[in-house]
Amino acid sequence: MRSGERLVRVRGLSWHPPEAPTVRRVALEVPVRPFITGFNRALGRGVPIRFRRLAWAGQPPRSVSVAIGSTTVRARTFLFAQPQGEEASSALAASHPRAAMPTQPGRAGAPDRATRIRPPRDIVKLEDRLHYLLQPPLEALFRNGLLGFPVRPFTYQLEGIAFLYPRHSAVLADEMGLGKTMQAITAIRLLLRLGEVHSVLVVCPKPLVANWRREFEHWAPEVPVVVIQGQPARRQWLWELAGVPVKIANYELLRRDWESWQSAGPAAPAIHFDLVVLDESQRIKNRASVSSQAVRSISRSRSWALTGTPVENSLEDLVGIFEFLAPGLLSPRMRPSAVGQTISDYVLRRTKDQVFDDLPPRLYRDAEVELVPEQRESYRRAEKDGVLRLSALGEGVTIQHVFELVLRLKQICNFDPATGASAKLERLEADLEEVAASGRKALVFSQWVETLRQLAVRLSRFGPLEYHGGVPPSRREEVLRRFRHSPEATVLLISYGAGGVGLNLQCASYVFLFDRWWNPAVEDQAISRAHRIGTAEAVTITRLLAVNTIEERIQRILEEKRELFEALFASAGSPTRTGLSQKEIFSLFDLAPPSATRQAA
Amino acid sequence: MSVAKASREVTLGFLTVVEHGADGLFGGYLVLNGLGRPLEFHCTEPVRPSRAQEILYGPTLRPFLFGEQIGGALVNRSKRPVAAVLTDQEPVLALRTAVDCPMALVLAGPQRPETNVGDPAVGPSAASPGRCRFDPAHGAPAGLALFTLGTHRLAVLGGSSEDRHLITERLGDWAHSFDLAEPFQRIREAIEEARQGGS
Repeated sequence: MRSGERLVRVRGLSWHPPEAPTVRRVALEVPVRPFITGFNRALGRGVPIRFRRLAWAGQPPRSVSVAIGSTTVRARTFLFAQPQGEEASSALAASHPRAAMPTQPGRAGAPDRATRIRPPRDIVKLEDRLHYLLQPPLEALFRNGLLGFPVRPFTYQLEGIAFLYPRHSAVLADEMGLGKTMQAITAIRLLLRLGEVHSVLVVCPKPLVANWRREFEHWAPEVPVVVIQGQPARRQWLWELAGVPVKIANYELLRRDWESWQSAGPAAPAIHFDLVVLDESQRIKNRASVSSQAVRSISRSRSWALTGTPVENSLEDLVGIFEFLAPGLLSPRMRPSAVGQTISDYVLRRTKDQVFDDLPPRLYRDAEVELVPEQRESYRRAEKDGVLRLSALGEGVTIQHVFELVLRLKQICNFDPATGASAKLERLEADLEEVAASGRKALVFSQWVETLRQLAVRLSRFGPLEYHGGVPPSRREEVLRRFRHSPEATVLLISYGAGGVGLNLQCASYVFLFDRWWNPAVEDQAISRAHRIGTAEAVTITRLLAVNTIEERIQRILEEKRELFEALFASAGSPTRTGLSQKEIFSLFDLAPPSATRQAA
Repeated sequence: MSVAKASREVTLGFLTVVEHGADGLFGGYLVLNGLGRPLEFHCTEPVRPSRAQEILYGPTLRPFLFGEQIGGALVNRSKRPVAAVLTDQEPVLALRTAVDCPMALVLAGPQRPETNVGDPAVGPSAASPGRCRFDPAHGAPAGLALFTLGTHRLAVLGGSSEDRHLITERLGDWAHSFDLAEPFQRIREAIEEARQGGS
């Protein structure tokens, strides 16, 4: 080793740093002492096991038995008879090509909707309630071919059918134009097909008999229908004729036959119907009327009433209808709120606004006309003389006297009796020119046949057709057919009395009220001939009004009444008077009513 | 023979169970003719499992109660033979071993025409409580064999392959016009009516 060189030595190792100029050698002594673990030896050694015998001590283990038991299931059984009517009705359906027509799309209502029949509240027996509750949805009955339709009913119509079907007492009070007839016919059809009824009587106003027959042919073509008409002997035979499921009679005829049955005593025929349907049931609002007594005398199991105006004047109207449906249920002394609660399960009323979003609107316009000079002079004289006469009568004046004057003045507002001059006619002619030029059709309403006849002459260039009490019933259907289908028939002159209810005249886009009726509900009925299901475009209603006349005064009162009427239905039935009261009628001439209370209009 | 008459001669049983909280289970069995009209209805009074049953039956409790106990009691009361018993509750299928007519689980109502085959089979009334729903993406419920009848999706127990054949044969003609899921809603409403004590 060179001088100054350092050397680090570890036993067995040496290291020369790269730059270690000085290394000094040092001797290290590390003692190492090996030892023996004994592991391998332990593996070869045996495990010492010692045995010891012990005595068993203590009790045997406890066990618990749990009985699962079987659940006792109690069940109730309800059996429903296989409808006897289905066998016959299936054969009936097969024999009539239209009866099983499949439901066609194209009308409102969701295709998958299920319209269920719900039992009414007055059915209390569980078995009866389940009978209705377990019926299939109406859509299922239609889908499987039990009932077919020329067009698919609207959803609200199916709901109406489901409402009527289980009820023994019901009022379908839909607004005019929503298809009450169709709903009643389909419910009748369903009851007949399922064997729940076998004999049905429909009572309607005479002008509507043909309409009902036509509607049955349309909606229930497989159901045989007879109209009770003809000479007394024939009618007697028809009343007693068995095997005809549906008979149609009119109120007037029923009244006459009932009177003859009354006089016949025990010899009167014993007639029973499973269902009696009253159309325009406001006809029996007066409980004391012969019509009311006649329909109430018919033996029946179910009673339905159809009306667009269940309350025309007062609560008593409703009481009158319920005397037919459920005698004693209502009383005139009941408070409106109590009446509403009592009848809620018996009455179904929908308005067009509720069920249609897309029905074209009604457009009202009041055409105020000034009487032509000749009319004005006639009017002035008639009013002056009339009021003088009424005043002269003093306490002896009656409402009849006032009515006569009102009617006289209203007639002058239509036509001057001496010259035939008419401000309204002039306005009407101008409007009809436009209607005819546009290829559309119009209805013209008046309360007088004489006025309509005058109009027919003066409007001859429009080819007017007439439908009123002066037209024989046998010709009326032809009149309606021509109006609907003939392009030349632009105008239908129609009376409130004959054509105010039940007619389908959707082909008309214009309605003219040549004079005004006393009650807004009757005017609504008239307007609804054109504005109803199937109406394709807006219906324009023109209310002709002679200013500064009795018409203007009546109009003012009617508007107030209309507001009241609408408020009544909006509040679910708190009926009050909507006609003209005695006081209001006298007030038309600034007269005070006589002290004794007399019948209101 | 008219279609209506042929349909009417088929009778079908619909069986479901409704749970009413603390009141327990209510079973309902509705026998319909081929036009969907009711012929018989049977319903149970409330059934409540004991605590011991709950513990010891474990996951088999529902098939035991729905199928053997409730289903068995109801079907045994029926006066008429039926072409098949349908249910919308899978545990009710446990009844199959006790009856000698085919049974199937209705998985969904009729498909809408616009529904694609691959879409989840959610029928028009599939939102009804108790309705079995089936998403094909997740496969069939264990132990069930799925099949289609008309516009309906049904399932039978895996070991009852013969049932599928029988149901297809017996119900195939009119299954297109009949919503097999709808009667269960009727049963539920009827049970509710009975439960509320109308008598």
